[in-house]
Amino acid sequence: MIQLRNLERYYKSGFQKSWVLKGINLDVKQGEFITIMGDSGAGKSTLLQIIGMLDAANKGEYNFFDEEVHRFNEKKRTELYKHYIGFVFQAYHLIDDLTVYENIETPLIYRGIKSKERKPMVAELLDRFNIVAKKDLFPDQLSGGQQQLVGLARAIIGKPKLLLADEPTGNLHTKQGEEIMQLFKELHNEGMTIIQVTHSEKNAQYGDRIVHLEDGYVREDKNVNELLERN
Amino acid sequence: MFRHNIILAFRNFKRNKTSFLINLIGLSTGLTCAILIYLWVSDEINVDKFHDNNDRLYQVLQNRQFPQKIATWEITPTLLVNAIKEDLPEVEAATNISSREENPRGAFSFGEKNIIAEGIYAGENFFEVFTFPIKESENQSFLKDKNSIAISESFAQKLFSTTKNVIGKTIEWTRGQNKKSFRIAAIFETPPSNSTLQFDFVWNMQLLIDADEYAGKWNGDYAKTFLVLKPDANFEKFNNRFASFMNTKTDKRKKSQLFIQQFSDKYLNGKYENGKITGGRISYVWLFSIIAIFILLIACINFMNLSTAQASTKMKEIGVKKTIGADRQSLVQQFLGESILMSFLSLSVALLLVLAFLPTFNDITNKVLKFNWSFNFVITLFLITLFTGLVSGSYSAFYLSKFKPFQVLNGKQVMSFGDQWIRKGLVVFQFGLSIIFIVGVLVVQQQMEFIQTKNLGYQRDNVLNFKRPNTNKSETFLIEVKNITGVMNAGRMWGNLLSGRGTQSGYSWRGQEDDKKYSFKSPIIGYDVIETMDMKVLVGRTPSREHQEDFNKILINESARKMMQLENPVGMNIGYSDTLREIIGVVNDFNYGSMHHKIEPLIFRVTTRGNNILVKIKAGEEQTAISKLEEVFQKFHPSFPFEYSFVDDDYQALYEAESRVATLSKYFSGLAIVISCLGLFGLAMFTSERRKKEIGIRKVLGSSVFEIVKMLTSDFTKTVFAAILISLPISFFIAKKWLENFAYNITLTWWLFFVPAILVLIIAWLTIGLQTIKAARVNPVQSLKDE
Repeated sequence: MIQLRNLERYYKSGFQKSWVLKGINLDVKQGEFITIMGDSGAGKSTLLQIIGMLDAANKGEYNFFDEEVHRFNEKKRTELYKHYIGFVFQAYHLIDDLTVYENIETPLIYRGIKSKERKPMVAELLDRFNIVAKKDLFPDQLSGGQQQLVGLARAIIGKPKLLLADEPTGNLHTKQGEEIMQLFKELHNEGMTIIQVTHSEKNAQYGDRIVHLEDGYVREDKNVNELLERN
Repeated sequence: MFRHNIILAFRNFKRNKTSFLINLIGLSTGLTCAILIYLWVSDEINVDKFHDNNDRLYQVLQNRQFPQKIATWEITPTLLVNAIKEDLPEVEAATNISSREENPRGAFSFGEKNIIAEGIYAGENFFEVFTFPIKESENQSFLKDKNSIAISESFAQKLFSTTKNVIGKTIEWTRGQNKKSFRIAAIFETPPSNSTLQFDFVWNMQLLIDADEYAGKWNGDYAKTFLVLKPDANFEKFNNRFASFMNTKTDKRKKSQLFIQQFSDKYLNGKYENGKITGGRISYVWLFSIIAIFILLIACINFMNLSTAQASTKMKEIGVKKTIGADRQSLVQQFLGESILMSFLSLSVALLLVLAFLPTFNDITNKVLKFNWSFNFVITLFLITLFTGLVSGSYSAFYLSKFKPFQVLNGKQVMSFGDQWIRKGLVVFQFGLSIIFIVGVLVVQQQMEFIQTKNLGYQRDNVLNFKRPNTNKSETFLIEVKNITGVMNAGRMWGNLLSGRGTQSGYSWRGQEDDKKYSFKSPIIGYDVIETMDMKVLVGRTPSREHQEDFNKILINESARKMMQLENPVGMNIGYSDTLREIIGVVNDFNYGSMHHKIEPLIFRVTTRGNNILVKIKAGEEQTAISKLEEVFQKFHPSFPFEYSFVDDDYQALYEAESRVATLSKYFSGLAIVISCLGLFGLAMFTSERRKKEIGIRKVLGSSVFEIVKMLTSDFTKTVFAAILISLPISFFIAKKWLENFAYNITLTWWLFFVPAILVLIIAWLTIGLQTIKAARVNPVQSLKDE
């Protein structure tokens, strides 16, 4: 599904380049649940953004379902992104002025789906995540966990092929975090490809493969089972 | 998507109530100004355009060569119209009407009822060339009959209290010793208020020609001539050929060249210099249009500035939206939608404001502007509002939507150097305009005050002016007036001192033919006028009863003496046509007419009659004197209304246009400043909000409230200073240009520019002061703990 070849991302300051990512090679198959780990500044989030097409690499190849994303301009990337990718953030990033219902509905509006068709789709997710009662509340009236539920619902309403999560439980306390991770697992079992960035070893266990980044390189890329065995 | 954006916009308004209010007040005030000015401008540019022939309807104008200058006159010989009709194939129709001085006036009576009316003499085709619809008429050629009269509906209403069944009635006309009967042959619609031709009745032009020996000659200018060109006629070509047209008819008008100007164009472009059209009222149309646009821009800038101030919160929304699939286009749509919605909300408030202020605005502009929900008006409103919305929203729409979502969400995006400049530039623009407006107001006020206090060369205080309907028992009348207690002096003349009317040439003081080309202002005065007006006689004497003076004696002013290069003019006889006229005195220069013109050489002609009475009244006794005057007037002229005015008021009326500009500019600049300050207030509020944390840190580090206020204020102060530096030279230039309209004007002194600058600075300080002090006094513990 995804092939990254010799990916580089750097920032120029003056004549100096400072690399965030260097020589990244990564293959993701459909249906995988990958966790990207590493210390702060290792380049995790940047990698996620590049995969998520919200940022572009300076060098290297990025193929997504055999499409050469690295050759796309921003407009074309947005188009591809809109249809295949959902994003979940650590800080939820809900739109403050919209209700729960409207927040979940918004991606469908951008996809140009008609109002009649949107209703059942939103209703289904509200039901699945048990937040029907909260549908008319605004984000600031919700707890963190509830906000992240909305964030997740919003990310998957468009039935994306790839779900990207940047420290989805980072702002949550343990119990709420577990709830969210359980949902990720369910989605994974239903066949969704998921890539998450996290610091938490425990959360990493929900997935089936862990990629360790260090200073912009892939240091280790192993199956969870292999790692478990090693320990 | 549309509904979604509307919902977002409304919730955004609700969340940011302060900026919503600031925007609503700013934009609706701006729109109110724009709509009022639009109404005024569209009224101005439609004056005289209602004639069916408008596109092809021209007025003939005459350039007359004098040694001093070329003068442009709208008066022409009455003979011209027929010559045009006969000789010029490009002309479809032509007509003429009497010049303003020759217009027939007087009293009309029917039975017991009397009214005073002013009309015109008109050529036969008058009602075909112009569109003043005939309501009813005896026959097609009613204007050919010298005994018939066409009257307006309002004339009929006043005299008969009806407009029905008046055709065929005979009415009596009286003026001075003249009396005549007329049969009403037609009734026409009263000329609308947007017509420069205003008249109560129409007489046959032949009556004027019969009454005055020069009126029917080529060397007498008694009529305004109008023509309609054929649709295929070429204006340029015609004008070129037309210039010397009069010379082909007569050898008496060698100095005169003719040209035509579109009749409806003359109202706005009615000023001529050296024979060329040099603008006129059009400059006020431009001025106010520009003011309207600037005030709207100032309001739009508020909106832009407030949205940049809120950019950090806005940017998060943009980032999120981009990550859930919004492309730039949909964001642009959202922001523009929001600002357009805002400006339409403001429009509804503005319309209410316009309704509320329209009567006042009409008073100031002396117009009868109305809401007229025509297609054009609605479209214009829509476009103005749309424009406002687009300009206001342009910044957010095209600038903010550009950011990369992740940079925004991670808080990495900082305002670049360029953005800061844009924002400051906008504030500079706003305050620069405000300063220009204030300087403008001051200069206009100063000039108006100068006009009011300038020594005109005569005293206009407490001088009453009125017209007698005739000159019967002229001397007895004047004696009775003088006998009234409180009346200090009284004189009579033809016309008055403020009209500036009457020009003559043909005087010869050196016995040279060349002398005759020089033109003189030539008012006609009777005994005691110079004394009543307190004019200074430099040498010689004033006309007096002992000498039984008549048209043969003249007085000249100092300018005339200088131009004629006469050392001892008194007693000299100078030639005029076949007569000799004795100069009996020289008066000091005085302003004859308005101060727009320089004092010109002037010759006072002397008369023993005169229907215009000037009465000097002792201060404090006006009331009793006026009621006594009315008694005298009624004794001589029963059944005529006593209508008087003070010379001082008439004098003020000469500067009506300027004083309207003065009043309007006061209001508009006031509004400009209020709107600018609203914006600054909002900006200060958001700046201190944004720097809350910084302020907290500084306070923890030991900064005092004063130092923080200084820090927050200095940024704005610099911006306002930049505005001052840029706007002062511009306002100096504009003020100078405007003052050139006056032959006598104030000198531009430093304080006219210093005061506005300081004023704006102080207003700006006051506006931001409150905000910054509030921000500086916040306990740092509070501001540092949230995050």
